[in-house]
Amino acid sequence: MNGSKRSFGGGGGRGKTGARGAQQGKDGQRRPMFRRRKVCKFCADKIDDINYKDMKLLMPFVPERAKILPRRISGTCALHQRKLRTAIMRARQLALIPYTAE
Amino acid sequence: MKRKYELVYIVSPEATDAQVTDLHTQVDQIAQRLGGTIEKTDNWGRRKLAYEIGPHKEGTYVLETIDGGGELMKEIDRRLKVSDLVIRHLIVRTDEEQSVVDRTRSRRTENVRRRRVARGLPPDRQPGEGQRADVDDDRDDRFDMPEGLDR
Repeated sequence: MNGSKRSFGGGGGRGKTGARGAQQGKDGQRRPMFRRRKVCKFCADKIDDINYKDMKLLMPFVPERAKILPRRISGTCALHQRKLRTAIMRARQLALIPYTAE
Repeated sequence: MKRKYELVYIVSPEATDAQVTDLHTQVDQIAQRLGGTIEKTDNWGRRKLAYEIGPHKEGTYVLETIDGGGELMKEIDRRLKVSDLVIRHLIVRTDEEQSVVDRTRSRRTENVRRRRVARGLPPDRQPGEGQRADVDDDRDDRFDMPEGLDR
């Protein structure tokens, strides 16, 4: 359990909130970084089936502009992002999710 | 070759209830003729469309779970394309994905049981025991959508 969680955690090993205090980024940022470690929602909640009919599940990944939320922001793992993408594309065909926001 | 498919079609909002059921019976007849069965029908009712399809802003959604072969689905696809009442439809094969889901699920419970036995616990979670573990889970920094969004 722990092992898998670590490997799916996004955020480039920034650790848990406040775990590492001040972080010296390569870009010269010296202020303390408090960034929550991102974990794939589907791995954490053990959602195996990403279904195109499940609007409640998909909507958080389609923000206002109706674009698919990138992995680097949501922290979704590659496998689940792929499944999510298919589900969203199917839902779009059925006009459940918009392609664009007008 | 038996396969499972899901068919969702959007019927024009002008269609009467009788016309919607008529479409369903048409699909059912094709299925029966080509050796398939409709396992489940689910009418979602009238919904607003996320975008306009032609002149339509809303439509009646119907979901059918169909057991049958590829030829059958091809025929249904063709018929729905021709139909004026159906403004959009989608056919998805589900049996393969479902079997993958079932496999991962059973593998996970198996793993949990094996690890519990290795720790000297009974394979299934005891009543009352699960609560502590849940609290543990909550304390962990889990995926948090709103915070992830505003960064």
